Amino acid sequence: MALVTIPDSMWDDDSEGFISSWFYADGDDVVEGDLLAEVMNEKVANELYAPASGVLEIVVAAEEPITKGQLVARIGG
Amino acid sequence: MSSPDTETLEAPAASRQRRLTIARALNEALHQEMAADNSVLVMGEDLGKMGGVWGTTGGLLDAYGAERVRDTPISEAGFIGAAVGMAAAGIRPVVELMFVDFFGVCMNAISSLAAKQSFFSGGKVKCPMVLMTSVGGGYSDAGQHSQCLYATFGHLPGLKVVIPTNAYDAKGMLLSAIRDDNPVVFMFHKGLQGMGWLGTAPGSVVHVPEGDYLVPLDKAAVVREGSDITLVGLGLTTHHAVDAAKVLAKEGISAEVIDLRSIAPLDRETILASVRKTGRLVVADEDYLSYGVSAEVIATACEDSAVKWKSRPRRLAYPDIPIPYSAVLEQEALPNVERLVDLARAAMTEK
Repeated sequence: MALVTIPDSMWDDDSEGFISSWFYADGDDVVEGDLLAEVMNEKVANELYAPASGVLEIVVAAEEPITKGQLVARIGG
Repeated sequence: MSSPDTETLEAPAASRQRRLTIARALNEALHQEMAADNSVLVMGEDLGKMGGVWGTTGGLLDAYGAERVRDTPISEAGFIGAAVGMAAAGIRPVVELMFVDFFGVCMNAISSLAAKQSFFSGGKVKCPMVLMTSVGGGYSDAGQHSQCLYATFGHLPGLKVVIPTNAYDAKGMLLSAIRDDNPVVFMFHKGLQGMGWLGTAPGSVVHVPEGDYLVPLDKAAVVREGSDITLVGLGLTTHHAVDAAKVLAKEGISAEVIDLRSIAPLDRETILASVRKTGRLVVADEDYLSYGVSAEVIATACEDSAVKWKSRPRRLAYPDIPIPYSAVLEQEALPNVERLVDLARAAMTEK
């Protein structure tokens, strides 16, 4: 089980962001390095990649507010 | 398709889904076509160094250089006019009018030059250019940045006018548009583009094959089959229609949804085949009501002798007013799922 979180380095301050699009659906097989989602912060799009391979379980839906460090998905083995 | 909100019957099933936003799909199409064809050139405001405000041209400048990826001044009349000349000389320019609302300053180049080049020369001088432009509102950007203006362009002979509804169609239609020898007005809706700050309809993010494929510019798509009523949409209103069909299904009403994809040419046969089957029609359009796409679709069905009407046709469109800045007023005026469902229910209960 790998946890997918918003990296602290994704943007500079502590403002909120949101996932604009998930590129895989809940239950999809993903491969390490896949572009999982686009994360918007202050009108800038950031890319979130899969840290491991397995079955994606989305924790935070698109358009919901998120902060850095937050768990947004799990990847099961 | 296993996309959550849009059933696209034509997209082939893939063993592994590679979902893209429309912005990424358009970017991929441009990269691939510029690699395949040296005559393709991209030109417009903020397309080079910035990569385009709509996410369409990122990476092109580095890959293909400043000769083929040109940042222009804010001079639509100049660079769109130049594109018509380039197209006459054998180049395939893709130019971007950042917001369709700005068409006023460059309409001569579009309607008097691009649209008529082939006709006036007896077919000897073609105009293989693509005019990409953003349309649509819903994010409180007021009356000069929120219009659709589909019908304004669809009304003028000599142009092809298309609008993709999902990323699969976006890539295949842009590849078709670049290879077409006619001028194509390629409209993309801000609410579908995948640029998060405008919101993104989830159904627009679908599987996109990595390779080369074409989606025709003259065919509507039946995105959901049904037997009681036909709902017609284009761009964002197609997504409204799919959502409305899901609501209606819970009430036992089987709605067929047609995505026009192109308004010039308009695929009248697909519309007629559906309305002949259902006998009921509601058209949803985010462009202005009067003299609009909705009227053309309804007229098409009314002129057909084989349609056996079970209720009068109805339309949902933007009222004939400049688009308000106030979010409250704008949302009140925009077509939405609720109003579309109400119209469909009225069509179903009419005696």
